[in-house]
Amino acid sequence: MEKQSHLLLWKAVFVLIIIGLGFGIYAGSKSIDYTWRWERIPQYIINTEATTVRSPFDGTATIEKGNKLVVTSDYGDDPLVIKKFDNLLVNNGDLVFEGDPLVEVESWNIGPLTWGLVMTLQLSVVSLVFAVVIGLFAGLARISTNPALRYLSVTYIELIRGTPLLVQIFIFYFFIGTVLDLDRFTAGVAALSVFTGAYIAEIVRSGIQSISPGQMEAARSLGMNYVQAMVNVILPQAFKRTLPPMAGQFINLIKDSSLVSVISITDLTKAGREVVSSTFAPFEVWFAVALMYLVLTGGLSWAIQRLEKRLSASD
Amino acid sequence: MTNRTDKSIIQARNIEKIYPNGCHALKNVSLDINRGEVVVIIGPSGSGKSTFLRTLNQLETISDGTIHIDEVSLTDRKTNINKVREEVGMVFQSFNLFPHKTALGNVALSPIKVKKKPRAVAEQEGRELLKKVGLAERMNNYPSHLSGGQQQRVAIARALAMHPKIMLFDEPTSALDPEMVGEVLDVMKSLASDGMTMVVVTHEMGFAREVADRVVFMEDGELVFEESPERFFSSDNPRLQRFLGQVL
Ligand SMILES: Nc1ncnc2c1ncn2[C@@H]1O[C@H](COP(=O)(O)OP(=O)(O)OP(=O)(O)O)[C@@H](O)[C@H]1O
Ligand SMILES: [Mg+2]
Repeated sequence: MEKQSHLLLWKAVFVLIIIGLGFGIYAGSKSIDYTWRWERIPQYIINTEATTVRSPFDGTATIEKGNKLVVTSDYGDDPLVIKKFDNLLVNNGDLVFEGDPLVEVESWNIGPLTWGLVMTLQLSVVSLVFAVVIGLFAGLARISTNPALRYLSVTYIELIRGTPLLVQIFIFYFFIGTVLDLDRFTAGVAALSVFTGAYIAEIVRSGIQSISPGQMEAARSLGMNYVQAMVNVILPQAFKRTLPPMAGQFINLIKDSSLVSVISITDLTKAGREVVSSTFAPFEVWFAVALMYLVLTGGLSWAIQRLEKRLSASD
Repeated sequence: MTNRTDKSIIQARNIEKIYPNGCHALKNVSLDINRGEVVVIIGPSGSGKSTFLRTLNQLETISDGTIHIDEVSLTDRKTNINKVREEVGMVFQSFNLFPHKTALGNVALSPIKVKKKPRAVAEQEGRELLKKVGLAERMNNYPSHLSGGQQQRVAIARALAMHPKIMLFDEPTSALDPEMVGEVLDVMKSLASDGMTMVVVTHEMGFAREVADRVVFMEDGELVFEESPERFFSSDNPRLQRFLGQVL
């Protein structure tokens, strides 16, 4: 009973601190003489744009029931029928000439921030797939009994983990990209997957080594070869164990992808920078960008937690 | 065709095993085992019992000597060791069930992946085997939801699913609570009476007396003594006497 009320107290403390922080940010923004213009942000995420439909020929406009505009041609062309529109610019029975505006149709238009988000998502997903493949093989090579494989893997991992990602991106784009004639996106994906692969390799290695050697022995004693034992016995168990650190690595990948904006890939971060320069509302834009990253990483976290729940059936 | 039932199915000759750390675990060990024979190996801890058993399916390589399983040389480079292992089932002290598979999944995995049997066939055989070891009700349980004795019986069924000619047991009851030892020994006894060739490392002297055709005593990496159970337990070999004095 006593424990319970303590818990409640600390939860209240948490809420108070959060409210305090929120108020602090609000007060801070007041004190710096900044006009918040949140209303400018949504159009950069999604907006509507009106396009005018013009008459292709001379004729007569009639509005039929069901709000349908029909233009019958004076010269026997097939009549033009427009069923859906937002603004009507002619009256029933009007004579129209070729090129006259008839109706306005509003269409949804995806804004630059959303395009940035899509680019970030593309970069992350493609890099993730390659990173997992690279990491899996590098991790297996790391624990191989073959010294050549082992040293190669160690060298790769140490090289990548010992240098900043930003520098690697520059090397991939300016050096390797030039030698192999890679476009920006490919260079960006290559840099991100090679970088993340090194960390995944270490996760894979520790995951495999955490499985008791008895599992491999049991599998081999049943006649499985090394690959069959790995694929059917060791990796499924290691996969489950490495999910939490993998999730962390995937989230890092999404965040790290913001660095490829330095080689002019218009990802979410670069889109944010461009929108700032056209709106002069940097605070709102960066908050919005942060929120969009949170949606990606949060969604991923949630998906992986679901997966962990499903895999825990055998515990 | 010669009558092969008289021939040894396991021929181990002059085996030496030196671990990479320099430990001399097997010293000139030779043992022939006939088809359908049950051989029990006993000896003090660290005497090399497990090492010897594990050389028979090449979980340990040997430093010198020769091993033939059903006339196939294990030391020959051309031998496909995976094929030999299909013929030699092994049961471990710590069960080593696959925790991510159900009891039936454990039993059916290798027939499906190695023998390429259709899943339905492998599972049908798996059910029969689990029934045979008394686990008809527990087929869909994961190992974590089975008692030690049940896990070990699943492990035996899993090894049998490959239709081995030989079964190796490395202290199969040592990790079990006393009340579960019996159920596992019963399965092993029925296996022996079915004519399975078995090599069993155990401290269960009752099992050795009752089921074994031959009992082998190992000490310090040497095979000291081998006899039929009656002669074995009435022997006056001083090293054996000292050991039996400790365990009985
Ligand atoms: N992987 C290994 N590397 C180095 N030495 C080992 C290894 N496995 C076993 N040994 C050594 O080899 C000797 C024989 O060990 P083994 O496990 O075969 O004995 P055992 O008779 O099975 O003992 P126990 O009854 O305790 O299981 C021991 O001295 C042990 O320390
Ligand atoms: Mg042992």
